[in-house]
Amino acid sequence: MKRQLAMIRAIGFVTYKEWAAFRSHMLASLLVGPVLFLVQVFIWQAMFEGKETINGLTFAQMLTYFGVSTLIHYISFDFADWNLQMLVRSGKFVTFALRPMPHWLFALAQKLGHRSLALGVEVLPVLLLFLFLFQVNLMPASPGWALLSIVLSFFMNFFINYCVGLTAFWLVRAEGVRRVFLLLKDVCAGVFLPLSFFPEVVQKLLFFLPFQFITYLPTRVYIGEYELAGIRLSLAEAVGLQALAVLITAGLTLALYHAALKRFTGVGV
Amino acid sequence: MKELLACWAAVIRVKLAEQMAYRSHFALSVLLLVIGDLVVPLVTLLVYRSGASFPGWSLHEALLVQAVFVLAKGIAFPFFFGMIGTTLSQVREGTFDLLLLRPRPAMLMAMLLGFDPEDFGRLLSGAVLFGFALSGVVVPHWTSWLQFALLFIASIAILCAMSLFLSGLLFRWVGSSRVFDIFDAMTGFGMYPGTIFSKTMQNILTYVLPIGLIAFVPASALLGRSGWGSLWALGSAALLMLVGIWYWNRMLKNYTSAGG
Repeated sequence: MKRQLAMIRAIGFVTYKEWAAFRSHMLASLLVGPVLFLVQVFIWQAMFEGKETINGLTFAQMLTYFGVSTLIHYISFDFADWNLQMLVRSGKFVTFALRPMPHWLFALAQKLGHRSLALGVEVLPVLLLFLFLFQVNLMPASPGWALLSIVLSFFMNFFINYCVGLTAFWLVRAEGVRRVFLLLKDVCAGVFLPLSFFPEVVQKLLFFLPFQFITYLPTRVYIGEYELAGIRLSLAEAVGLQALAVLITAGLTLALYHAALKRFTGVGV
Repeated sequence: MKELLACWAAVIRVKLAEQMAYRSHFALSVLLLVIGDLVVPLVTLLVYRSGASFPGWSLHEALLVQAVFVLAKGIAFPFFFGMIGTTLSQVREGTFDLLLLRPRPAMLMAMLLGFDPEDFGRLLSGAVLFGFALSGVVVPHWTSWLQFALLFIASIAILCAMSLFLSGLLFRWVGSSRVFDIFDAMTGFGMYPGTIFSKTMQNILTYVLPIGLIAFVPASALLGRSGWGSLWALGSAALLMLVGIWYWNRMLKNYTSAGG
């Protein structure tokens, strides 16, 4: 266990250093994030004209929703799917099959390093811009639950994306599937609009899908109240449900990973 | 001109044949583009359904702005935006030299190589959305259609100019795929009625970064909300194209490599 933790730390650190060489790639978020947020500010300013609340959310809460979901997106951002598909398609996965560490753990360690860098380069500057430029209230209602929920969202996004990446073991060219799935994931996670705006029937379906646990649930936990499909949960219940969903998704990912490895064949590299 | 068309015809043939090797991937990619382009209209629909609206804009009118945007992308993306991907990958790999050696202008070659038939899927989603939006507004007069047609050419020219700026940027900012995110963020303003923005922002989006000219101005013309005066956008688009061509060629001079 201690040895594995040391390996995770080493891989994370190397990834951190590798991506630190391409800082400008992440720094682009300082333009992209606030510009997209500015669009949201104008949209909702117009929508709230003469209205106190829309779908139970005030204007300030709506801005907080989009502000927090942007930050969660930066924290839990993941490209394990793309990476794994590239490795399988190019045959380079064979080098990972020989290593004394499962690839999913290697990918998770890489993500930890990559996102650690993002905390300083992307998350913190964008957070400060939201706070001081847009004056968005980003004070979590309950910091402990909010932090735990964001950590769980980080893992949830990884496991879901990794499952998408695993489709490369069954499909010749899985890029199309990956892109369709990721788009639907963002829609169902509440990235574009709070899920409470969807029709009741769709909300009920979304409640049982794992995507809400990536963005919608942690954002609502951050704001301090959770409700979807008429189901209202306390913060502890919501985070508990999220933890259960992460465990189930992790189990499914491992099962899929072992099934995928049985299909893999590689001839030298 | 005849040679240029022959080049395009040859590229379209080859690219389609290439896509046919991975038919399911091609079908899924087209499907993705259709779904992807309908996300913002879906959000607009859901928001209107909840009782909110853009002041002074009915649902169909707001969707018309978004439909025009998608239609313009449906033409500009397959023909021009592929050059961003070509520049991104070939400059990073150092294989851009091969384009410089060919007996056609490098800019044209970058556009030709970047041609992507998948992007025509956007035309499908744009057409469906356009038809739906038009079904809920008063049938436009033929003069409005004429204005719209001219302004639509301007919007495609603006998108072409944007592809030149982003592609040119990649000669210096080597290998950064974030240019696509920057494009999406900047054009986010163009998907909505311009009247929702503050006066200052409206001026910026019209005269400085003419994103408002991509969809809002043509859609307003079709709805009969703007007169012939809005045709000044044609001049603005032509100027932006010229600046884009100049910028791309200037940035090309920054390209360095050590041979393939």
